Amino acid sequence: MPFDTEGGILKSKKLLKMKKISVLYIQFFVLVLVSTLINACQKTAETTELEAYLPTNLDETGGSWKPFLVTSGTDITVASPTATTSAEYQAELAAVKTAANGATAEQKAAIKYWSAGAVIRWNEIARDLAAQYNIPPKNNPDGTYPAPDANNPLAYPRFPFANPPYASRAFALLSVAQYDALIATWKYKMQYKRSAPYKVDATLTPSVPKSELPSYPSEDAVVAAASRELLKLLFPGEAPLLESKATEHKNSRIWAGANVQSDIDAGEALGKAVAAKVIAYAKADNMSKANAQADVPKLRDDATKRGITTQWTSRDLPARPPMLPFFGNVKTWNFDSATKVAIRPTAPPAVGSADFNKALDELRAIAKNRSREQFRIASFWADGPGTYTPPGHWNRFATELIYKYKYSEIRAARTLALMNTAVEDAGVVCWDVKYYYLLPRPTEADPSVTTSTGIPNFPAFTSGHSTFSAAGATVLSYIFPNESAALNAYAKEASESRIYGCIHYRFDCEIGLTHGKKVGDYAVNRGKADGSGL
Amino acid sequence: MKQLLTFTAIIFLGMIPISSVSAQTPTDHLMMPKGTLCNFLGYSTSRWDNYWEGANKRINENIGTFKTENILFMAALGVTDKLNVMVGLPYVKTSSSASYLAGQQGIQDFSVWLKYNLIEKKGDFGTIKAFVTVGGSLPATNYNTDFLPFSIGLKAKTASGRLILSYANKGFYATVQGGATLRSNVEIDRNSFIFNNKLYESNIMPVPNAADGSLTLGFANTRFQTAVSLDRFGCLSGDDIRYNDMPILTNKMEQTSVNWFGRVNLGHLSVIVNAGKVLNGRNVGEATSLGGSVLYWVQIFNKAKKADK
Repeated sequence: MPFDTEGGILKSKKLLKMKKISVLYIQFFVLVLVSTLINACQKTAETTELEAYLPTNLDETGGSWKPFLVTSGTDITVASPTATTSAEYQAELAAVKTAANGATAEQKAAIKYWSAGAVIRWNEIARDLAAQYNIPPKNNPDGTYPAPDANNPLAYPRFPFANPPYASRAFALLSVAQYDALIATWKYKMQYKRSAPYKVDATLTPSVPKSELPSYPSEDAVVAAASRELLKLLFPGEAPLLESKATEHKNSRIWAGANVQSDIDAGEALGKAVAAKVIAYAKADNMSKANAQADVPKLRDDATKRGITTQWTSRDLPARPPMLPFFGNVKTWNFDSATKVAIRPTAPPAVGSADFNKALDELRAIAKNRSREQFRIASFWADGPGTYTPPGHWNRFATELIYKYKYSEIRAARTLALMNTAVEDAGVVCWDVKYYYLLPRPTEADPSVTTSTGIPNFPAFTSGHSTFSAAGATVLSYIFPNESAALNAYAKEASESRIYGCIHYRFDCEIGLTHGKKVGDYAVNRGKADGSGL
Repeated sequence: MKQLLTFTAIIFLGMIPISSVSAQTPTDHLMMPKGTLCNFLGYSTSRWDNYWEGANKRINENIGTFKTENILFMAALGVTDKLNVMVGLPYVKTSSSASYLAGQQGIQDFSVWLKYNLIEKKGDFGTIKAFVTVGGSLPATNYNTDFLPFSIGLKAKTASGRLILSYANKGFYATVQGGATLRSNVEIDRNSFIFNNKLYESNIMPVPNAADGSLTLGFANTRFQTAVSLDRFGCLSGDDIRYNDMPILTNKMEQTSVNWFGRVNLGHLSVIVNAGKVLNGRNVGEATSLGGSVLYWVQIFNKAKKADK
């Protein structure tokens, strides 16, 4: 040993001691590292827990409210249920008792999850899908961009690209299907008045709050079936997931002791029948032509003929085809196409005009010295790729209020149907304006205007966020008047966030808000006249 | 003879912000003698054109060349010959050649470390040393974080620990070290995000913890020092950048890099140059970095004892 030359024995002992110490330290260190690793691997994100609630109002008259697409609550037939005294029903009841008593931990988790509300949960699922599918395709090596294909939804780029207009329509179709189906559900519930299994058999204690609503057909099964069918149309690659969610949702009602199988089956049939009508509407609403890129040169020529010579171009590299240039032709819900033209804002300040330069100067100043608070607001409302888009953000507000005010399923669906039809209408009129005036984005007018959020791939005027948000806030303010001040403040901040991000001129936002408010008013008027008395 | 503390300035640049870097700096095998204060000021810059989106290397025309610059101030004090305390504060600036997105700049995270010399054994065989370092960092300013790759840092509070073992003989030395960094979750400006293919409606983003290790070979004498190192950094959990999306704080960032530095001592002053290159990675830029720094030391107490030596 090289160190034996100098008092070897003593030194080796010291070294041995040192070795022991260092081994101890290393052991300790490894222990810390291992425990760190274990903790680290469990690092998860937070989720909000929702509790089941009994609605403050059962809305017994809901069966007479005016649907959107179905003619009336009696448009779909639901067969009369078996009597609760029948042998058939008693057998179903016995099966429910067995299932409820034997519910596994996993089944109990499913009961708890779905008991927060059928409309609320399916809206969450739609928000999740919208976010996951909201990502623009990557360009091909030759600089072109691939387009998603509805017939091959899982091939790259997946179908759909759930951009804001797509999402606005998805939420509207989903909500209309849920609402129209629930109107029929309420009609038949009140007509047949079949009691819930826990009312028929007092020995059955359900694991969800005991509702006074008749249980046939099951509103949960109706919402599950209608939502599954619509979301399968809108996110066709997710069919297996949606089937399994709907099945779990329906089963959770049996496991909870809240419905018998025939409640569920009648709900399934009803939900599916209404969904078919909404799907037929969706197939004919002009969405299939919204991305007709071949027609863009004509669209630009037409604008040139109207004197619009400085036209928007894509800021993406390589230049990306404009997002849904003909979404402005998609059928509106709450007014006709003549109204769309009648309420179209007049032209924005021309590029290079004094008013235009004044608006651009405001953005130059922000870009140069954007405050932390301006950045925060721009980021909070950005709702860009990988998010549920501005329509999704308003759906979240709506479901939070539905939960806060303990709305019944039918009133929840009415809220979302009115809001989401307004929000889709807002998208349609806004896209019509965008491709009518083709105003370049601020950064195109002056590259020194750097942004704190991505520049959306469509013209600036008017702001989609502003139009969506004003429409959403207007409808929700009508439904939740106590929340009106907050909701209108949200819309204003969402609108201004686009100025702080430097992707919109102030006039894009202000005119967008006014435009969106008008769109929202049409939905409010519809709500006031729908027989709900709300 | 005791050496000054050397700041090897092994800095992970590019998409791994400096917070992970700061914990890296007190990584050498040397201690400041009691009463000695060392001040360090360094500038470094890194660039990348390619980055890894998950495991796939790609370029992005919308980013072009991404550039990070930082100015790092550090100070180290020999509390005793066995215990040093160190602080650091970087200023970071990001920009890209092609993006319209606003580059960011500002003061990043304040870091503090304690370094303790556990073992020092000198003999004919050379010198063996072991050190333990514990430290932590806090964001020094309210900077924008959920804006990668432009963010100047992750904004997580961190706590880290590491063990350093070294062997030196006739001026040549080898150092092996490993560390772990716990990183707090971070409050972001928006209140929803996708993590592990699921939408979370929350403004609290989980930032993965990380571990790192390195092997350094070098030579040092009173006038001159040089070393090369192979460095590995990896998050212990996290997800990949979604296809064609922006990086976010939850991403599992990993990289292996080589780094070199050279140092010349001129009395109380030292001049250091360093360079590095990322060899491979995941959810990070393929960065090449260059830096230069100066350090200056003064004896502020324990002067008499120092003079005896």
